[in-house]
Amino acid sequence: MLKVQRLSLRYPNGKLALADFDLTVRAGELVIVLGGNGSGKTTLLRCIVRTLAPTSGEVWVNGTELTHLEGDRLRRARLELAMVSQHAALVKRRSVLANVATGSLGRHESLRADLGGFPPEELTVALGCLGEVGLAELGHQRAGTLSGGQAQRVSIARALAQRPRVLLADEPVASLDPEAAEEIMRLLRRLAADGNLAVLCVLHQIELAYAYADRIVGIRGGRKIFDDPPAELPRESVRHLYQDRAA
Amino acid sequence: MTVGTETGSPLSAAVRGWSAPFAHALRVVFILAGILVVAQSFWMVKARPQDLVSGVFGMADFIRRATPPDFSQLDAAIWPTLETVDIAIFGTLMGVVMAVPLALMAAANVTPARWVYYVARGIIGFARAVPDLVWALLFVTAVGLGPFPGGLALAVHSIGMLGRLFAETIEQMDMAPVDALTLTGARRIQVFTHAIVPSLLPSFLGISLYRLDENIRSSLVLGFVGAGGIGFQLLTYMNLFDYRKVSLYLIITFVLVLGAERVSAILRQKLA
Repeated sequence: MLKVQRLSLRYPNGKLALADFDLTVRAGELVIVLGGNGSGKTTLLRCIVRTLAPTSGEVWVNGTELTHLEGDRLRRARLELAMVSQHAALVKRRSVLANVATGSLGRHESLRADLGGFPPEELTVALGCLGEVGLAELGHQRAGTLSGGQAQRVSIARALAQRPRVLLADEPVASLDPEAAEEIMRLLRRLAADGNLAVLCVLHQIELAYAYADRIVGIRGGRKIFDDPPAELPRESVRHLYQDRAA
Repeated sequence: MTVGTETGSPLSAAVRGWSAPFAHALRVVFILAGILVVAQSFWMVKARPQDLVSGVFGMADFIRRATPPDFSQLDAAIWPTLETVDIAIFGTLMGVVMAVPLALMAAANVTPARWVYYVARGIIGFARAVPDLVWALLFVTAVGLGPFPGGLALAVHSIGMLGRLFAETIEQMDMAPVDALTLTGARRIQVFTHAIVPSLLPSFLGISLYRLDENIRSSLVLGFVGAGGIGFQLLTYMNLFDYRKVSLYLIITFVLVLGAERVSAILRQKLA
């Protein structure tokens, strides 16, 4: 579903942030990326969604190659690709339901949507997505009143309202307490399996990665170090990911 | 620290070419300059306390002749009062209409180009630097006496404050929802109406209400230069020595200003 081929990014200052990165995430699969600070994990995600332009390589999402698209074609291609980041990034003054429904805007071209409204059927969809993350009863609350864990679940619901094939998550649990973090990971796990989504998630928590991933990908210095199912991945190699950087 | 002069205080030790005696001398110079500034200001305004004492009788005479306020004129005062409020509403609304696009150009994070930013900041600064009374005089010469030049004056002067505060609000806006929405594949116009407008609108309304309150006070004074409303009536009756009508209008002014301030404050609280 998501296929990254020989993806590289060299910054203008010569630093190689991503080097010949290959990665495949199939539908229904939850792949977790581990790596130290500055290892290139976030850069990888940003190159996939094209907020950074990779120097070379290809990104295939559901049969479309993204790296060469611009403008409206890039916008359309992004519909297949949803992103959840460390901060929920909700519009705090709007209702939770409205925030979720904004995820679907890209597929609508109506005056109503342009003027800040929603197609009525999208509100039903949004309510369904909110139910998926277990917050259907909070729909009419202001987004600013939510707890961190709730807000993150709402941002996942917003991603679902987009009806993507691929879900990218950039440290989605970094600012949450352990319990809320487990909850988010269970949710991602379930969405991958039930929704047949390809989920690519960047994490810092090794334990969560072992508990929830179908495969764990290690990245260091912009290079892929390993790409294995948790059962076949010795803890030692994960630890090396962080140690070598300090050396 | 390479200088081998006096090293009396930590400051003189830290700053090259800075010595304790020099610091003392500088302090004396500053104090003397301060005294000089204050003294010349008193001399310039020809402040004579004795005039204040003898003036008490003039004041008492005014109050005696101004009481009781001529409440029979209350119905006649409704029209100018309404005019004063309407000048303020018109001025605020037109000010907002002009300030929003200027603010978008004068906010460092969304301005289309660097030179546009400076031009917009220049216009906003100029609108504020010229007092509303001067704007009113200019517009009276242009469109004649009446409430219209008053409204225009308030509109132009309001751009100064509104434009600056709007721009600051835009600059401090949380960009995360905007970026998140862009990544979902939403169109630019949708990102604007669904993420930017809902984040900014409450703040913009609050600032505008605050400005409306200020404009009602300004609009009172604008009457003095022929822009209609309560100010014009005050000036007229003052010139006719009709102090009982003057005191009536002063009471109306007091109620109006206080009322506008309260209403504006309550509405802004509701928005927050």
